[in-house]
Amino acid sequence: MQLQIELEILRASAVASIEQASDLKLLEELRVQFLGRKGQVTEILRGLTQLPAEERPSVGQTANVVKTAIAEALELRKATLEAAVDHAQAEREQVDLSLPGRRRRKGHMHVISQVTEEVLQIMFELGFQIATGPDIETEYYNFDSLNTPADHPARDSHDTFFVKPGVVLRTHTSPVQMRVMERAKPPVAIVAPGRVYRVDLDASHSPMFNQIEGLLVDEGVSFADLKGTIMLFVHRFFSKETQIRFRPHFFPFTEPSAEVDISCTICKGQGCRVCKGSGWSELLGCGMVHPEVFRYAGYDYEKYTGFAFGFGIDRIAMQRHAISSISYLFENDLRFLEQF
Amino acid sequence: MRVSLNWLKEYVDIDVPAEELACRMTMLGLEIEAVERTGDAIREVYIGKILSIDPHPDADKIVVCKTDVGGEAPLQICCGARNMKVGDKVPTAVVGAVLPGGFEISRRKMRGVESQGMMCSAKELGLGEDIDGLMILPEDTPVGADARQVLGLDDVIFEIEVTPNRGDWASMIGVARELAALFRKQVRIPKVEFVESGPAASQLSSVTVEDAELCPRYLGRVLTSLRVGPSPKWLTQRLLAAGQRPINNIVDITNYVLLETGHPLHAFDYDKLIENRIVVRRATEDEVIRTLDGQERPLRPEMLVIADARVAQCVAGVMGGATSEVGETTTRVFLESAYFNPVSIRRTSRALGLITESSQRFQRGADPEMARFAIDRAAALMQDIAGAVVAPGVLDAYPQPLEQKEVKLRYSRTHALLGAEVSPDDQRNILERLGFVCAARDADSCTLRVPTWRHDVTHGEADLIEEIARLHGYEKVPTTLPRVRQNEQVFAPQEGRVRQLRHFLVGQGLSELYNWTFSCPQDLARARLDGAGAEMVLLENPLSEKHAGMRTTLVPGLLQAAAYNVNRGLSDIAVFEIGPVYRLAGVEALPTQELRLGVLLSGVPEAPHWGQQTRSADFYDIKGYAEAVLDFFGAEVAFDPVARDTFQAGQCACIRAVGKEIGTAGKIAKTVAKDFDVEADLFVLELDLESLLSLPVLRPQFQPVPAFPPSLRDLAVLVDRVTPAGALLAAVENAGGKLLHQAEIFDVYAGERIPSGKKSVAINLIFQSPERTLTDKDTEKSLQKIMKQLETQFGAQRR
Ligand SMILES: [Zn+2]
Repeated sequence: MQLQIELEILRASAVASIEQASDLKLLEELRVQFLGRKGQVTEILRGLTQLPAEERPSVGQTANVVKTAIAEALELRKATLEAAVDHAQAEREQVDLSLPGRRRRKGHMHVISQVTEEVLQIMFELGFQIATGPDIETEYYNFDSLNTPADHPARDSHDTFFVKPGVVLRTHTSPVQMRVMERAKPPVAIVAPGRVYRVDLDASHSPMFNQIEGLLVDEGVSFADLKGTIMLFVHRFFSKETQIRFRPHFFPFTEPSAEVDISCTICKGQGCRVCKGSGWSELLGCGMVHPEVFRYAGYDYEKYTGFAFGFGIDRIAMQRHAISSISYLFENDLRFLEQF
Repeated sequence: MRVSLNWLKEYVDIDVPAEELACRMTMLGLEIEAVERTGDAIREVYIGKILSIDPHPDADKIVVCKTDVGGEAPLQICCGARNMKVGDKVPTAVVGAVLPGGFEISRRKMRGVESQGMMCSAKELGLGEDIDGLMILPEDTPVGADARQVLGLDDVIFEIEVTPNRGDWASMIGVARELAALFRKQVRIPKVEFVESGPAASQLSSVTVEDAELCPRYLGRVLTSLRVGPSPKWLTQRLLAAGQRPINNIVDITNYVLLETGHPLHAFDYDKLIENRIVVRRATEDEVIRTLDGQERPLRPEMLVIADARVAQCVAGVMGGATSEVGETTTRVFLESAYFNPVSIRRTSRALGLITESSQRFQRGADPEMARFAIDRAAALMQDIAGAVVAPGVLDAYPQPLEQKEVKLRYSRTHALLGAEVSPDDQRNILERLGFVCAARDADSCTLRVPTWRHDVTHGEADLIEEIARLHGYEKVPTTLPRVRQNEQVFAPQEGRVRQLRHFLVGQGLSELYNWTFSCPQDLARARLDGAGAEMVLLENPLSEKHAGMRTTLVPGLLQAAAYNVNRGLSDIAVFEIGPVYRLAGVEALPTQELRLGVLLSGVPEAPHWGQQTRSADFYDIKGYAEAVLDFFGAEVAFDPVARDTFQAGQCACIRAVGKEIGTAGKIAKTVAKDFDVEADLFVLELDLESLLSLPVLRPQFQPVPAFPPSLRDLAVLVDRVTPAGALLAAVENAGGKLLHQAEIFDVYAGERIPSGKKSVAINLIFQSPERTLTDKDTEKSLQKIMKQLETQFGAQRR
């Protein structure tokens, strides 16, 4: 009996001191003091052997209850103290969420590259692949083989840079058409982005600018296919709401030829200063490949037909991003470049 | 070309409003550049009758008039003109009126006398140069009428862009023909009626064509007893509406017929022609002509001239000569209507730098059949207006009448090319409305005779299908998506690599530039790259001296871009450009074109952050980009020291990869930067991408992941300050043997704690075996070997 009372007293004092333990180190000392191998509870339990056999079970039971109670108190206190430690650490390490995060320097792809890639992506999805040609081009590829012989009035509108007789800076990406057709038999489906040049400089003209050319040649390609392709492109690149119109025009290397207007991106077709009140703005030139071009390419015009289109990347970039002057595109002002 | 709607209506009935007409014309291919309403600039101007003219009490040069404009009371108007008398009818702007140029009329006092409006001159109404005084109108003009109607200012002018293939559109009749076809109407060609009398033309003159190739047809008429004077109002109005200045009745008539028919005419003063005859020939060597604009123009033998018996009197189809110009004293005229070779006219016009209404029409191809109508039309008008006596007969040199072409159309081909259903009847009908004549037909096709004015129809069927599409309406063609099939002969995988590289560089914090690809030898000299100048592709007609040729390097463009930004206060620059450079490649070949990458850094290379100190870019930043790009391509790279004038001595590396030099990186020399107007430190990298792009795409092969732990060691050694760390590292890697997995320099130090002339290099070593866990003995053995090698090779001491 005496032993049981001792145990109860021990429990009371142990729990009281555990609950008052102020840190984890003290708590560990208490654990050793009470439950350690030489701890008080253990000592008491060791005394069990001297008890009469009939008392042992009940005292043993009490001892276990006390042991468990102390262990629980220790656990509880430990959890409380640990939480306090975490809390203190959190308090110390609190950050000012409003300060900017640490970032890498941000690079900006030029808007011409961005637009080029987007156009290419749309055309890739339609099944076209990329082709290229040189900036410095022969008159043969730039003009003659595109049904624009010397003394053709259409050459006047090109304001060509000459390198030497017979060699020019290409005035459009169309020569790529002929270069591809020369080395590949139909079917052919290409897009050709690139720099082109004209002797022209003002707010809307740069002597160097960028175009994309498209060419599809196969059996049974029609003007209706051209319309469908352009329409899909415009809907993807601008928006589904963009209106499109095809109107007759003249290009020496296509027939029938068309110019494509889209509803003005500034005024949405209502008419404004940019579109001269018409509600339309010119987007691109296109048409069915001219029989004469096929003749130069060695393609059979009876068997194959094709369409071609070409447009200014700079122009559509300006249209879509409301850039007021083409000169921004080549001035390389970081305050411009970093907007895109 | 300016097309007056009022005038157009003389040739074809138009019953749609002007806006719709403009739209329909646009959809027909007649691109409308502007629509101008002539009366728009004028408001509140009425016809007034002058009731009295009294002197101004206080000013000699001003009179005070009472003018009735149909209002309740006459207006009192002060006026500085002198040419009017009581009873004259004049256009009168009332208070609140607006005149061309936005000039507004308000009530005001002139030297103390109130003026309630303004009586107008022709010039003030925008109707010409007449500065003699007020515009006096015919007596029967109704008082109070709106001046716009009276003066024909209720017109609409369409400014049309005529495409190079459709020269026939550059005339009123040409446009009318097109609209008649569209609206299914008839064209009204004016009736030509005149009386021929006196001696025959063939007695008065003759035409000799010496070069029928350049002049397939030449027509002439002789008109006598005519009076040169001002043109009647209806004629001047037409010319003004078309944007031409009236000169005198004879010249005006030729211009009028030009605008009406599209066929240029020329009137010579018959009496100024030596022997009164015409010789059509090429110019002789050293021949000179003074043209109507007063310029002396040297001619060349490939140019065609219209001469008299001795001298050139006209540059054929381009501009007349001053000697035989029709003037006030002219009483006899030789009238020319010809068809010239379009190419010859174009060349002459370009060679002389002389582009005229006439040359523009001839070079696009005139209508040889219209030549006859035009000359008769002009003769009739000259009889009517200038009282000319028309000599009987036309001199017509037309040795080989131009053949009228015939083209076959297969109805099914139209369907195939357009992807639209147009019935055979509709196809043929459209062409017939356009003046094509059906010569033969069967169920599947028809053969059509091409009108003489349609020079664009030269390639057969496709030309006709275009016409059908145009008149049928492009908007009626359905939209379908094509089947797209590919071709293995067209494959440019490098383009995809370039796009990836661009994304990679942007991801590395660089922004992309687009420079013009022009350059000049001076740019190269400024960048101390003179050597490259000899290979520069030069332009025959550059935009300016600064853009004399095509760039041979990206460096000057990068430096200019840096200067542009630095001079605008933007000092932190991290940019790149991917673009071509060009180089001459022998006499025959096209110049080469090679893709390059340029990178430029200046200022702070990293994004600034409040939590860390900023530092300026240095050589290792630009080298880092070079390493990153070479790594992107999976190429082994070496940086060798090199001396280049563009770069600062000791901070320039030649970049070697794929077995050759492929670029340079370094710090731009101070003098060079200064020449480009920059004080700041600039670091530049230029790489040839072609050889990198041709490398096979890296496809890494799997290596087993190590199963045993690595053993790590640090090694710090003292070496001479000039010893390249790279050589040290190479020696370490060499001596380390198979067990050395990786060696990296983690610290380089020279300073107080180190003997002078020495530096400490600390290397982090990782030993690793795929077979077992390494023991200290293993690593120590390797380390000893490495140290021994460093001692013998560099005299290194371990720290
Ligand atoms: Zn608009």
